[in-house]
Amino acid sequence: MPEWIDYFFNYFVIVYSAAVLLSYVAMAVLAYMEHRKHYTYHDDAYTIDELKKSPYTPGVSIVAPAYNEEKTVITNVQSLLSLDYPDFEVVIVNDGSKDRTLELLIENFDLVKVPYAYVEKIKTKPFRGLYKTKSDNPAFKRLTVVDKVNGGTKADASNAGVNVVSNKFFVCTDVDCVLDKYALYRIIWPTMYSTRRVIAVSATMRMSNGSLVEDGKMVETHPPHSLIPLFQDLEYTRSFLIGKTALARINALQNVSGGFGMFDREIVIKAGGYDGDSFAEDMDMVARMIRYMCDAGEDYRVVQIPETCCWTEGPPNFKVLNRQRTRWGRGLLQFFTVHHDMVWNRDYRRYGMLTLPYIMIFELIAPVIEFSGYLMVIYLFIKGAINYSTIWIAFLGLYIFAQLLTMVIISYDNWVGTSFKRKWDYLWFVLASLLEPVIYHPINVFFSLRGYWKHIWGTQMVWGNMTRKGVQQRQPQANPQPQQQPKPQNPDA
Amino acid sequence: MEYYTLSRYAYWKYYILIMYYRLAEYPPVVRVWFVFGAICLLLLVLIVLGNAMRTLAHYRFDRMVRHNHRRYFERMKEIVLSERTLELAEVSAILELPKNYKMRERHCRSYIPTLLELRQGLGDRLSRSNWQRLLQVLKMPAYFEDQVLSRSARKRVKAFKDVADLDANLKEAVASRYLFTKDRKLQMHARLHAARFGTSYPFKVLEEDPNLVFTQEMVVKYHNVLVYRSENGLAMPNFIRWCNRVPLNEELRIFAVNEIRLFGRKEDCAELLSMLQASREEDFSCALIRALGELKYVPAEKEFCRRYLSASFTERQVLAEAMGTIGSGNPEILKFLADDFLQTTDYVTRMILLRVLYNYGTRGREEFYRLKESTAEEYQPYFSHIECDLIDSSRYA
Repeated sequence: MPEWIDYFFNYFVIVYSAAVLLSYVAMAVLAYMEHRKHYTYHDDAYTIDELKKSPYTPGVSIVAPAYNEEKTVITNVQSLLSLDYPDFEVVIVNDGSKDRTLELLIENFDLVKVPYAYVEKIKTKPFRGLYKTKSDNPAFKRLTVVDKVNGGTKADASNAGVNVVSNKFFVCTDVDCVLDKYALYRIIWPTMYSTRRVIAVSATMRMSNGSLVEDGKMVETHPPHSLIPLFQDLEYTRSFLIGKTALARINALQNVSGGFGMFDREIVIKAGGYDGDSFAEDMDMVARMIRYMCDAGEDYRVVQIPETCCWTEGPPNFKVLNRQRTRWGRGLLQFFTVHHDMVWNRDYRRYGMLTLPYIMIFELIAPVIEFSGYLMVIYLFIKGAINYSTIWIAFLGLYIFAQLLTMVIISYDNWVGTSFKRKWDYLWFVLASLLEPVIYHPINVFFSLRGYWKHIWGTQMVWGNMTRKGVQQRQPQANPQPQQQPKPQNPDA
Repeated sequence: MEYYTLSRYAYWKYYILIMYYRLAEYPPVVRVWFVFGAICLLLLVLIVLGNAMRTLAHYRFDRMVRHNHRRYFERMKEIVLSERTLELAEVSAILELPKNYKMRERHCRSYIPTLLELRQGLGDRLSRSNWQRLLQVLKMPAYFEDQVLSRSARKRVKAFKDVADLDANLKEAVASRYLFTKDRKLQMHARLHAARFGTSYPFKVLEEDPNLVFTQEMVVKYHNVLVYRSENGLAMPNFIRWCNRVPLNEELRIFAVNEIRLFGRKEDCAELLSMLQASREEDFSCALIRALGELKYVPAEKEFCRRYLSASFTERQVLAEAMGTIGSGNPEILKFLADDFLQTTDYVTRMILLRVLYNYGTRGREEFYRLKESTAEEYQPYFSHIECDLIDSSRYA
């Protein structure tokens, strides 16, 4: 074996791995500080009550693009319309669906085409029309359906939605997501307590696979009981409750998820809206908003809230996971190609000096280094050169660290108000964290590299349809119980 | 062969030394990794134990809350719905609290959910005097005082919120020590408490604090406090004084103007108009215009017209809306709005002008249709948009 490979693994990879672990520890500590602050000062029920009573509560628009969603669109729009908030509107963008999505919406919500004076603040594929209800149902009056020519990406559809929203803040979500009834109160709150202008708010998202949904409302939350969504649930929880919370603590949050995130409409329009060519359009959007604020010399904040506000259906099998992760991998490399000038650039403050270098070193390069590590282990195994007396210590230490991180996120989740119905549901997380390093992680490394490969060689790639199994639906009860407002937090919790 | 009896400390030393000499055979990287793994293992055990203990405490507390609810809810209801003011001994007798029962912190805390449910459920029907006596028997004022004086910031903040929700009695002196604390959140809750229950002039701190940061959260909470004071016949602040005497804090001035608007204080309109004539700040001017419009102060129209042509698009939109809200029927105003529709270059302003004309009585409607006929084809979508009843054109942005 060439000497440089020996040096590479003995020095560079060891220092790199130590830095990764230390960054996890640092983020867990930062996240702890943020959760502690939240736990000390935030009271969900009190906040909701205050906002409900006030005439100053700002309006929020929900933008949800829909493409060939005829199976789920009606239930999900009903779910969005049943949210609890004093002033909100729901804008569904029919992105040129080929199925009966638009027809079903028209039939179920009594919609008619109206002569809306559409102004294209952000360039999109041609606008075909806007629909409003003629029904007297006050809930339906909140609904607006925009019909446009298919743009091929969620970004284009979201931009059309942004062009018609009427409130200062809009939430971008997917039409298949299940939102918490009080999600809008929670996500608007950071814009009110912050002394700086909040340009985007990210909220915790979880997997809906395994949970029980009734009339589009989440009634019982459980972890997914199949392996791939379970892994992804663990990964999401870790990412939101540790990674994103820690970065938001120092105002260096890199991404507001496209599944559920709130944005300042004015800044989004000034930043040019979502980029239809991007495979990581949510991360790209946040980068361009931050770029705009920094270039304009304005102060800003991007906030992460710990409460679970949204449940989405995770990839049910490896095929869909492959498509998702390959796209993410490709999007990440594409992101750095577009925004490379922001990396190590002091003009972009912590985002340029800390977040982007961190993501570049520990997320973009990591799959390459990990893959080289796997190849090395295989090579040493074939050669019979593995030192079995030490390798068990390395693996055991790694396992213990992985379990520790899982226990930390379980504690944080408990702290911010557990989202699972039963405490022992967390054992599924423990199971997932035992298997994750040997099953899920290596597979994701491979999918990410595949995405890089496709980006480098410019392979044509389109947004695939997500194969949806649908969440468990409970049969409607004779006398359904209304969802209770969150109880006052237990001081001992 | 010699035998040694190891003491407690020596046991630990013995095993650590074994581990140390065993590890000495390994390279430094493995040794560091082993120590790291051992620390992680220790933390793991501690976190698991901590979680288990917290879960147990949570379960016990929930059980206590359920028990209290089952046992006392109806009795409490009977007390607070009583038409006669009950004596403390009577309240105690109805509750049937155990004799020589020492009320601990966790007991008091466990009553809060039941009391909250009772208060929110009964609303105005409950007798205020009996409610206060019930809290007194349960020793809630003393509990809240202890909590506010405790070392935990969470307990203090929670106590202030509970006092507000339960309308409990807490001595002003207890809260006043936090009115200028460096902990901003705690400071805000202490000030809100003082503003809600204060008897003299509790808003003095707002006027005198040079470092005041008045966030939207405070706007929401202070408004709710002012509504409470207004409903309970307590003294209200002089908003005009806030507008004039607090030049440093723009947000507080805007809040004061908005409160004049929301509380419908028409008597302050003349003062607001003179402030508008002198105002140069856009946000403050917009708040003044909105207030004068919603309070339908007709003499302000002249000033609105004077400001209009030199104003920004945002201010013009507010001015047009205000003129529409006043709706004095002045033909000059209608002509003014119609002329600006033809001149303006901003599409949102154009839409607002059309909407104001459309909703400005019969004359406004006539002017709207005259414009519709006389303007070019490219403007027709605006007219159709306004005419469509299904579209809420007030939300156009």
